[in-house]
Amino acid sequence: MARKASRVVDVRQAAESGRDILSSTAGTLAGMEVTLRNMVRATVGRQHVTIQYPEQRKPYSRRFRGVHILTHRADGSLKCTACYLCETVCPAQCITIEAKEVQDPRVEKAPSRYEIDLSRCIFCGFCVEACPEEALIMSREYDLTALSRGPETLAYGIDQLTQRPEIAAYGAGFRPHMQYPLVESYLPGEPIPPREG
Amino acid sequence: MPIVTIDGRQVEVEQGTSVIQAADRLGVEIPRFCYHPDLRPEGNCRMCLVDVEGFPKPVVACATPVVDGMVVRTPHESPVASKAVNGVLEFLLVNHPLDCPICDQAGECSLQDFYMHPDYGQHQSHVDPVEKVHKRKRVSLGPRIVLDQERCVMCSRCVRFSEEVSGYAELQFVHRGNHVELTAFEDRALEDPYAGNLADVCPVGALTSRDFRFKRRVWHLSHADSVCAGCSTGCNVRIDHFGGRIERVVPRRNPGVNRSWICDEGRLSFRALVAVPRLMYPRQGATELDWSEAVALSHDSLRAASAAQGRPLAALASASATNESLWLFRQYVLAAFPLHRLAFRLEREIAEVSQRQDNLLRRLDKHPNTMGALHLGFDGGEGLDGLLALAESGAIEGLLMLYYPPLVGEESKETRERITRLLHLVPASVVLTTHELPYLTAAKLLLPVATWSEEEGTYTNYQGLTQHADKAVPSRGAVRPAVEVLGDLWHCATAARRQTRPEEIFREIADSVPVFRDLTYASLESRSATAYPPEGRMHYGQEGFAGR
Repeated sequence: MARKASRVVDVRQAAESGRDILSSTAGTLAGMEVTLRNMVRATVGRQHVTIQYPEQRKPYSRRFRGVHILTHRADGSLKCTACYLCETVCPAQCITIEAKEVQDPRVEKAPSRYEIDLSRCIFCGFCVEACPEEALIMSREYDLTALSRGPETLAYGIDQLTQRPEIAAYGAGFRPHMQYPLVESYLPGEPIPPREG
Repeated sequence: MPIVTIDGRQVEVEQGTSVIQAADRLGVEIPRFCYHPDLRPEGNCRMCLVDVEGFPKPVVACATPVVDGMVVRTPHESPVASKAVNGVLEFLLVNHPLDCPICDQAGECSLQDFYMHPDYGQHQSHVDPVEKVHKRKRVSLGPRIVLDQERCVMCSRCVRFSEEVSGYAELQFVHRGNHVELTAFEDRALEDPYAGNLADVCPVGALTSRDFRFKRRVWHLSHADSVCAGCSTGCNVRIDHFGGRIERVVPRRNPGVNRSWICDEGRLSFRALVAVPRLMYPRQGATELDWSEAVALSHDSLRAASAAQGRPLAALASASATNESLWLFRQYVLAAFPLHRLAFRLEREIAEVSQRQDNLLRRLDKHPNTMGALHLGFDGGEGLDGLLALAESGAIEGLLMLYYPPLVGEESKETRERITRLLHLVPASVVLTTHELPYLTAAKLLLPVATWSEEEGTYTNYQGLTQHADKAVPSRGAVRPAVEVLGDLWHCATAARRQTRPEEIFREIADSVPVFRDLTYASLESRSATAYPPEGRMHYGQEGFAGR
């Protein structure tokens, strides 16, 4: 297809020439249409588009992939069996696990160390999808700050992944099979239903 | 010799070869649990069923000898065999607990590999999981082995190993049908000094190693093919390591040396490397030195001690060193010290080198390279005792020593005392060693060198067989391989630079020493052992069966 010959305009010259002020102003106003509309809405209609973060916060999707949670069983022990599938699948290689033997004959194996270096984590959620036990799920916690980049500040261990107060504040986020309730996995502070029978 | 056709490919094999061996030779994969090349075929797992033309039903490949003109079709080609194998696998999985997440075998488990195989593996079980028969889990079978009876597929490899190979015969099946269990009498601890092999022969997670228990998932491990340095047998091993740390040592199959086995002492010898703190920096007394400083100082002090009075240099290199280190050690001593005593014997290595400790693998000489030292021209007559006598008479004033502590057992008290005494008697002593050993502290200069698993090299075992050991993990601190240190010393003596890559040094040895003629690293590797798992386990989706 033949290209249409286009006129070449020297923009600098056009700007300096000063003619056609009206049309250029109209163009600017047209570009600011959204801004102006919201300005009117906010000043006259008191309808704010922005919120006063961090005092105000917006709700996020239930499937939001925020900082991880390690769930526990009804007896309070960690659900994680240290199978290393999350560590294996993690593309950022930010999960470090060390396993230990436990005396419970139905469990045998549990993590003695479970650490997610959140300064490296890309929040892809692969670890949660790989977990065969719903032992690791994500929360909706999204604002993660630390005063230094050192691994000791954003490398969350078992304690932080199970007990930090933010878990209750933000609530649980993404896990596979969200259409079903958690099976024998509990979040910290969650009331554990009494056993039937 | 009979010619057999397997999946359309022909192979000529010796009379009496089984179908599975012929298929292995062709590289045709036949799934198996109970067949093991170093154990008597039993034919009880029924996993290796193949379709043979003219036979009414599928037959087991492991116990069927080939006859001339036989046409065999494996589950890859034959729907009959595929259906049969699929059914066998379903039966084996009926009571399987499916606890792969906490099973150490996961990742190298035959059940996993076979179930995932598209030709014969996948199926929907006819049996409801709630009907599974439960058995005992986490049964302790002594310090080496943990038994999980639910995971067992009753292949009896372990039973046959303990009967045929180690001779301890401590395992047996009890009960029948669904309730059959593998057990040791009264669950007594296994006394077998080769018990660690049970975890290797077990194709599933029933018998697992206590030492490796829950340490690492196997797919995270890196591998290095090596040779055990625990005694003069020179068993072929594979070092599995992660993050610079050795996690386990497993045997590689070499029918001429160790078949598929190693002793438990050799398997756990890597623990000796970390039991004592390592020597990390060159040292003079308590002062840490630079390498350049330390090397120059070593050379000068030895020269001063030997040249001034016209006295010979005592040069003692342990037979735990690689051929390459020993060769450079000797080259340096020959180049720098016209008068010298070149010894390697600490105890009775030469007398013990081929003396058996038991009927299987272990030998009394705990040095992996005694034969290599002899081949390379070290004096077998005069050993540590001879040098000590010379030092006591005042005939030597300089000592260069290359010393590695034994990986299996401890150095005997007499030897330790002799070494201490020698170091006290000799005014100038330079010791290249690996660990902070109390009996070496009297040395004037201590130079840290790499241990077994941290350096590449060759060892010559009691048979005179030279075998190649790869480097597995890096050294820490300022530790350097002995060949590099000796190369620097040689540079001090001759002002010339030399190649210190082990492969190049070995080429030099092969050119100079008749015993090693025509050997190269490439030729050593081509004749070395097959990969672990010894029988060449299939890895679906990975390198296939070609790894053998």
